Amino acid sequence: MSLHFVVIGLLSASVCLAQTSPLLDILQQELKRNYTELQKKADPSPYFLAYSVVEEQSEVITGTLGALQTRNKGHRRYLDLTVRVGAPALDNYHMVRGERPQFTNATLLPLEDNPDAIKRRLWAETDRTFRLASQRFSNLKTSTQMNVANEDKSDDFSQEQPSTFVESPRKIPFNGEEWTPKVRKWSAELNKYRGILSSTVTVVMQNETKYLVNSEGTRLQHGRGFARIIISARGKAIDGMDLAATDSFEAETPGGLPKDAEVLAAVNRVGADLRALLDAPVVDAFIGPAILSGRASGVFFHEIFGHRVEGHRQKDETEGQTFTKSVNTNVLPDFLSVVFDPTKKSIGGVDLNGTYEYDDEGVKARRVAVVEKGVLKTFLLSRSPIQAFPHSNGHGRKQPGAEVVSRQSNLMVESSKTVSDAQLRQMLISEIKRQGKPYGFLFRDITGGFTTTGRRGLQAFKVIPLVVYRVYADGRPDELVRGVDIVGTPLASFSRILATSDKPQVFNGYCGAESGSVPVSAVSPAILVSELEITKKETSKDQPPILSPPQLTGGVQ
Amino acid sequence: MKAHTITWVVLGWAFAGLILADTKGKASDTDTQNANNTKQGQRSTASAAMPSPRAAAAPELSSDVIFRAMKDELDRSRSLKIMSLDIPYFIEYGLDDAQGISASAMLGGLLSLNQNRFRSPRVRVRVGDYDFDNTNYIFSDYYSGSRFDPDQFPLDDNYAVLRHGLWLATDRAYKTAAEAIGRKRSALKNVTQSEVLPDFWKAQPVQKILPASRVPLDANKWAAQAKDLSTAFANFPEILTSLVSMDAVQSTHYAYNSEGTAVRYPDDLYYMQARGSGQAPDGMTVRDAIVVQALDLAKLPNSAELKKSVLQVAQNVKALTAAPAGEAYAGPVLFEGSAAAQLFAELLSTNLILPRKAISEPGRPTQFMGSELEGRIGSRILPEFIDVLDDPTQTTWNNETLFGTYAVDDEGVIPQPVSLVEKGKLTNFLLTRQPVKGFNASNGHARMPGTAGARTASISNLFVRASETSSPADLKKRLIDICKQRNKTYAIIVRKMDYPSSASVDEIRRMVSGVGQGGATRPVSMPLLVYRVYPDGREELVRGLRFRGLSVRSLKDIIAASGESYAFHYMNNLAPFALIGAGGYVAPASVIAPSILFDDLELEKPQEDMPKLPLVPPPPLAASR
Repeated sequence: MSLHFVVIGLLSASVCLAQTSPLLDILQQELKRNYTELQKKADPSPYFLAYSVVEEQSEVITGTLGALQTRNKGHRRYLDLTVRVGAPALDNYHMVRGERPQFTNATLLPLEDNPDAIKRRLWAETDRTFRLASQRFSNLKTSTQMNVANEDKSDDFSQEQPSTFVESPRKIPFNGEEWTPKVRKWSAELNKYRGILSSTVTVVMQNETKYLVNSEGTRLQHGRGFARIIISARGKAIDGMDLAATDSFEAETPGGLPKDAEVLAAVNRVGADLRALLDAPVVDAFIGPAILSGRASGVFFHEIFGHRVEGHRQKDETEGQTFTKSVNTNVLPDFLSVVFDPTKKSIGGVDLNGTYEYDDEGVKARRVAVVEKGVLKTFLLSRSPIQAFPHSNGHGRKQPGAEVVSRQSNLMVESSKTVSDAQLRQMLISEIKRQGKPYGFLFRDITGGFTTTGRRGLQAFKVIPLVVYRVYADGRPDELVRGVDIVGTPLASFSRILATSDKPQVFNGYCGAESGSVPVSAVSPAILVSELEITKKETSKDQPPILSPPQLTGGVQ
Repeated sequence: MKAHTITWVVLGWAFAGLILADTKGKASDTDTQNANNTKQGQRSTASAAMPSPRAAAAPELSSDVIFRAMKDELDRSRSLKIMSLDIPYFIEYGLDDAQGISASAMLGGLLSLNQNRFRSPRVRVRVGDYDFDNTNYIFSDYYSGSRFDPDQFPLDDNYAVLRHGLWLATDRAYKTAAEAIGRKRSALKNVTQSEVLPDFWKAQPVQKILPASRVPLDANKWAAQAKDLSTAFANFPEILTSLVSMDAVQSTHYAYNSEGTAVRYPDDLYYMQARGSGQAPDGMTVRDAIVVQALDLAKLPNSAELKKSVLQVAQNVKALTAAPAGEAYAGPVLFEGSAAAQLFAELLSTNLILPRKAISEPGRPTQFMGSELEGRIGSRILPEFIDVLDDPTQTTWNNETLFGTYAVDDEGVIPQPVSLVEKGKLTNFLLTRQPVKGFNASNGHARMPGTAGARTASISNLFVRASETSSPADLKKRLIDICKQRNKTYAIIVRKMDYPSSASVDEIRRMVSGVGQGGATRPVSMPLLVYRVYPDGREELVRGLRFRGLSVRSLKDIIAASGESYAFHYMNNLAPFALIGAGGYVAPASVIAPSILFDDLELEKPQEDMPKLPLVPPPPLAASR
């Protein structure tokens, strides 16, 4: 349930069709052999078997203050298995009192298509996973008879059409020699800013290929690459408060990343932001109007709304189930719609991070309109059905080693009540005056946050604002402040959105939850909120370094 | 001491003739090297507490940018002080400049190939003085503030960035120390120490700067070798899982401290691991493993020899799957060949060191596993005909390169040979700069990280020598004679112990919490190759036995030893049973010992449930089709 964004991007893969796929053949042969034998010999026997392989190739280069800090390469193939024992109505994945079973564990597979080695691994893992599955299923048969039935009586597994799609994604070429001098040059810029204690510029190049076969006939091979630049700087204010500033770029291929001058400007903006934050006044607790920039609003929606429409939470009786009973009722202002669209590849020239062609259960990706004109229509669904929603809508996702749950893809907030950015700012000032407040807030950058959706916990959310300004009603210039935390309760926040701007912005990141870290994006116009609750963030009290830095190589600012 | 993602390696290396200026005896000379201090006003206090020694400065201290950054930042850090809090009396910088290649393969398929290049810093600050400082307290390493110093230093020789990292790391280490000594004083108001010991032994400064050269390695060739070796299992369908990995860690270790010690030495390690497992008809899992290692690439056995070692593992697993399960046994046991050296390694490596219990807080239980030999100096722990010596200064034995040789230990102390057992009586321990009961000075055996500011000692080259010996044939005869005298159907020979262990983490957990090992003694690893010897001399391999009650105390009951000795080389680490691949840090060690005969030991069958055989038969191997 906790969620963290790290900034990234993705690329929709350009592809060429693969003629043959030895790995898929090996997977399919061994799947068939194991499935047939288990059906014959096992009691209880499996009714579903799937082998999923994720191949990851990456190179990461990090620089700090003009020096190369790390350069690492990785190449891995992870195997995950699904064995379902029993029947779709009740199988070994059935959840009891919030206990989410874990069967798979991301075993490494050989990097080359070596049948002997791969088949041995598949066979050994099938045996191991089958034993766990069959043991839990036997236990379940007892406990489901002993306990009262769940309120949601839907099945444990949905019926879906098998998918067949095989392509070899075009791979990003890695050229570390080309990127290393750039990383040195970009990171050296941060020498200019007094007070930065740690800083990095990181370039990541990653290719991901996914393979999936299952006993229903699904046979998939697809994938994509990621190219990104991440800039980060941290420091400590004189009162002990830790401060950070970041920026990032994402593209489908390295060629899509910005030119040198644009990156240099971004690095300097991060340095200047942090420098300014170190000297900025600390915020006081406040309730009043605020504008969230498109990127900030995207994170806001991802946290307070997106996580609460993930299907599995509607079925999990330990969850808060904010929206479980709200289908066909108004959950947002009627000028807002929320769509999750993993098939959308880019918006305004920015590639979206949550794009994919098939989800991790092999279900074809599709656009899902979760909220239409303020009315909740559906949830994000994996192959774990929930009451009234018996089928997946292609949002079953996971990272290697985790079991699938329903997850967000590309969240898009669509508005029919839009004004220009300038008008939105005017509306903010009017609202400040109307409420008799001296100022309101403008959130320019938010780096992520977390939300608790559990029934026992506080139904709260938290995002981590990085760059926040006080906007004064009397025409004074905006004032950067530090130590801002947004707090509050989700349902209340939705009703207070007054209007939006007409320019969607993209926030690309990774979302962490039960099924691990998955790439997502959140797209939203800036929003004006009549009331937002702000507190001063908790902060460490340790002093900045006792001695001054050993050398100031730049000396600007 | 070094490692990459897999393993840190501790090792020293004596390059003949490269030992530079020895600065012994000059520690009391003070100098105002800290004239570079940028914070005026605090300098006098700082230099009074921590004099800068005048070293006969080696040219590398100014030509090697890492040393230059360390020296300059350390000099400046002498003035660290927060208000009225304690000031540093000892600052130490360590850095491992390393690159690693790690390849693993099964049945000819490459599972992973990783290449890493990194520089890991380690900064320690002590406040107070040698008698009483921030260490030896359970929260010595706890820091409540934020961390800004990087855990990896830049790969470029960038002086300014090195200084920047050292500055932040020293700041954090100083704050940690200042916080700890305050809390330690508070704790001591409420607890009484059984014995008050000084916290740190003052060492003579050492300058030992060895050349840092690096043999080029081709990662693809390294991976190809792992793949090739892993095919050795392909002709053994009864082997259900197998893995071969090849690791190379090439490192240069740097250390520089405020006492004037400056150390640089190559710290390389190359090793091949192979393991295989199978399932006996009753479901019991059987396994075997081998690690072959070298400090010098040229000394790593060639491909053909490595392949032979891997094949031996495969043959052992095959033999074990077909072997009968062993039965509970009490009687004479012969440890033959390197199995005896393995046993000494296991029993002595953990008990010839003297960990010190950190000062705790009242009412807070702490886990502490001391030496079973503590307080037994002068007592007999082995038969009178056995002596034990640990000698890090020896480089070869019987034309074999010893693995535990080093020029200087992790605390900058020149190691000494230590006579540990004389005529069966315990005479000494392996010691670090952490004073322990009865011993205030180091004998240069600090080789692994420790807790609460201390290092852990390790064996280096351990020589177990017998003055009364028998021939191998006589030993076996004596074993059979005892067996006959006691009317037993068979006696037991152990030819290989699972040490360092190739067990799974689950197995280790079961063994540590396991039954059948009474008292406070550590459990001993499983024997892998156990043979029944019948009175007619016939031998039969059995599987699935382990020792009951075997501990360092059992060594008194050795009744005979062979004239010939056997060498066993391994990577000691801090994990139980020196688990292969566990933990970050390793200390290479060699044990040279004869075969030994015990009058009476017990073996038992573990009372564990065995997994059922898989329902689906294994897929056929192309090689065996």
